[in-house]
Amino acid sequence: MGIKWDWSGFYEYLFNGFLLQGAVTTLWLTIASILGGLVMGCLIAMLRLAPVYWLSSFAKGYIWIFRGTPLLVQLIIIYTGLPQLGIKLSVVESALTGLILNEAAYLAEIIRGGILGVSTGQTYAGRALGLNSFQLMVYIVFPQATRIIIPALGNSVNGLLKTTSITSVISMEELLRSTQLLIQEKFLVLELFTVAAMYYLLMTSIWDMAQRRIEAKFSKPYNKV
Amino acid sequence: MKKFNLKLLYLISIQLFVGYSVMAATCKQTVPDSALVKKGTLVMSTNPTLPPLQFVDSTGKLKGMRITLGKEVAKRLCLKPEYISIEFSAMIPGLQAGRWDLINTGIFWNTKRAAMMNMIPYESAAISISVKKGNPLGISKQEDLAGKAVGVEIGGLEEKKLKEIDKNLRAKGLTPINIRVFDNFALAYQALRAGQTDASVAIDATAAEYVKRGEFDRAISGMFPMPVALAMKNDILAKTVLEAMNDMMEDGFYQELMDEYGLLPNSSPFIIRGS
Repeated sequence: MGIKWDWSGFYEYLFNGFLLQGAVTTLWLTIASILGGLVMGCLIAMLRLAPVYWLSSFAKGYIWIFRGTPLLVQLIIIYTGLPQLGIKLSVVESALTGLILNEAAYLAEIIRGGILGVSTGQTYAGRALGLNSFQLMVYIVFPQATRIIIPALGNSVNGLLKTTSITSVISMEELLRSTQLLIQEKFLVLELFTVAAMYYLLMTSIWDMAQRRIEAKFSKPYNKV
Repeated sequence: MKKFNLKLLYLISIQLFVGYSVMAATCKQTVPDSALVKKGTLVMSTNPTLPPLQFVDSTGKLKGMRITLGKEVAKRLCLKPEYISIEFSAMIPGLQAGRWDLINTGIFWNTKRAAMMNMIPYESAAISISVKKGNPLGISKQEDLAGKAVGVEIGGLEEKKLKEIDKNLRAKGLTPINIRVFDNFALAYQALRAGQTDASVAIDATAAEYVKRGEFDRAISGMFPMPVALAMKNDILAKTVLEAMNDMMEDGFYQELMDEYGLLPNSSPFIIRGS
């Protein structure tokens, strides 16, 4: 049995404008979601670590719900359930909301881990220097926590790049949906999915390089003898 | 007493065995296993999101006109029917790759598809525009869709036709349709229910079923009537399925089934159109 593979079709789709547009959507969805997720994740992590019972309970509940249910279900509820409560978000708004809410839950735990990873001696030392809680966080704990957080954060970005494809379920035209739509044209299934896979790989590779730089930057103070 | 029981049991088992072998004798598989994906089985693919023609009931069982039709075909070929539920976009690639023997999901016949597969058209289906109950936007013709958000399932002819309508509207200088493509009809209708879209495109029978359920109205129906077909890759299988279908037409099973669902049946004998 010969291998069925259409090279000309493959090359034709490799630089297809419609697919590129899908890839761009995937990219900005990822960037916006990770930034939004980071801000919200920080907030949730702080709440989770707050010494006030109901604040930490709220954060715990949030993480419990958003890590414990599939993103696909969250997206469908946001897109088609919320309008029944009078909150009607567009496809793009729904996709972003779902991705950010979901990502924030995971990032909150990563950030919490980073903060807890900073030795308590550092906090005591800061206090001895007369820093208040805010200063302590900004000058002592966060810079050290960031170093711990970054490798795990890199994993999240990499995962998120591919997770964005789930938003196609609410008709978001990102890379995967663009691929599926183009497949209908000539039924070049393997060729098109391979092109899409290459786009994803390219994006994750670029992120890998960026992450290595960021890691190097934040580890610098630790490299000196 | 005990002995008698044993004897009875023996008799019953003989009876069962004879009965079974008689059945097996009358039902002889005519399709060679080499023409099938799975020995003694007719594997069919369907996308069960199209009530009342193909859907999953509350017990998780596949139901609907096409499911009944497929089972009857398998029965007449003395094969075990087996269904694979899968998204429409996977249907043709899956058939080409030998994942199933027959596409039984109400696939529309066209020359492009007929060039790739053996297709037996058996029903004429047209497309409807579903809207919210009471048709609040007053949609009554294709032009009314200009600038509206319209949902549709990915990969089917409904999507293609919707794009055609959109093209016509653009050519007339009207606002384009905001086409929203979903994985299946259930989600497309859910988006309509939530007010995320203004209309949904589906075949007449599905749109009529949603009307029956009381949530939606059919604003436009009977657009682009097209032949719906069974699709197969294997030529030998296609020939035997064709015979079985023609038998069904002769003994009235086909007519009865189409009447039950209010569908437009073929009047002349079935033929393989394509490949």
